[in-house]
Amino acid sequence: MKIFALANQKGGVGKTTTAVTIADGLARRGQKTLLVDLDPQGHTAFALGLKKAPGLYRLICQGEPLYKVVQSARLNLDILPGDKQTEKVKRQITLSDFRESILLDILKDTDYQVVVLDLAPSFDVLHVNGLVASDWVLIPTRLDALAVDGVKEILMTMAEVARRGHAFQGFSILPTFFDRTTRETLVQFKEIVNTFGTRVWPPIPQDTRVREASAYGKTLWEYSPESPAVAGYIEGKLRLGGYRQIIDRILEVINA
Amino acid sequence: MPDSKLERRTILDPAVASLLNDMEHRQSDAALPRRQREKKARERAKMRARREQRVTFDLPPSLRAQVMDLAESERLPASQLVTLALARFFQDLAAGSLELAPFKKPSRSPRYDWNLELPEELLPLEVKKPAKRKA
Repeated sequence: MKIFALANQKGGVGKTTTAVTIADGLARRGQKTLLVDLDPQGHTAFALGLKKAPGLYRLICQGEPLYKVVQSARLNLDILPGDKQTEKVKRQITLSDFRESILLDILKDTDYQVVVLDLAPSFDVLHVNGLVASDWVLIPTRLDALAVDGVKEILMTMAEVARRGHAFQGFSILPTFFDRTTRETLVQFKEIVNTFGTRVWPPIPQDTRVREASAYGKTLWEYSPESPAVAGYIEGKLRLGGYRQIIDRILEVINA
Repeated sequence: MPDSKLERRTILDPAVASLLNDMEHRQSDAALPRRQREKKARERAKMRARREQRVTFDLPPSLRAQVMDLAESERLPASQLVTLALARFFQDLAAGSLELAPFKKPSRSPRYDWNLELPEELLPLEVKKPAKRKA
């Protein structure tokens, strides 16, 4: 089993959209996948056309088994939903022993092939739990100075978690809302590519259909599988960027 | 001399490198005067259109030399000569005036069942260069 965390301490960078899209994308490629919503906004369920539910609260605060609190969202895809009661989970975890590995202890014995954690854009005990549970951290970022600063913040948090003994297998940076026509995108893109090299994955083009898909409660694979956000930019025979290419990269990580 | 076994490491994801390259080209073009920018855009569109027509095959050096020499002496693009030659070949094949069977020999390759062995009169090892046309 591989656990991927979607993290960036800056909000509005596309974490939830990316979590939902890659979870369904991996499920469609035959990976039995669990999507866990660690954000009290509860938007992962909403994006999949389901109701928000206190799944994480029932799991951690009420001690119910995982199989009772997950919902089947799509073929091969289960979701552990969240809602505002997730706030109470943070308080419960804060009072617990071995509080930083509670999520890992629950997830490590499940039979999912892939777990995708959608982290909230805040630094708290649930965020740390998500990082401690993860093998690989995927950091979505817009290409603007504030979001790129968020990348730096999450990397510092990861370094702190690693200092306490957790070994991450790796991390990748995923540029989102990518608009290749602006000078600022190029400047910021060059900067993160120069700094992080191969850790920068192909970007996700800006695409209105992403917003439309979540409004209809559909994933991008269902709503618009040939849109630029999924298929990437067309350069002759090449396709550059897009979630389809990201699924390929994630499968390389899983099969490595 | 560097060790021939050394391989240059890829420092970027290939898709990222390609996109970055494309964006840098676009930005440097944006600084050009309008006419030059339009010319570059036309050239790029032409190059993109030609990508679909590109193909790579292995040819015996003598045949390659024949194509290039004829193209030079007739002052024609080599690609168009090869297009004509292949079009005629398929026409002859369809009409039955050319058969592959006499040239087919069993292959030991796991990928192919047959090889074509061409007689020397059809494919000479060395080719006489055609006389250059006088201007």
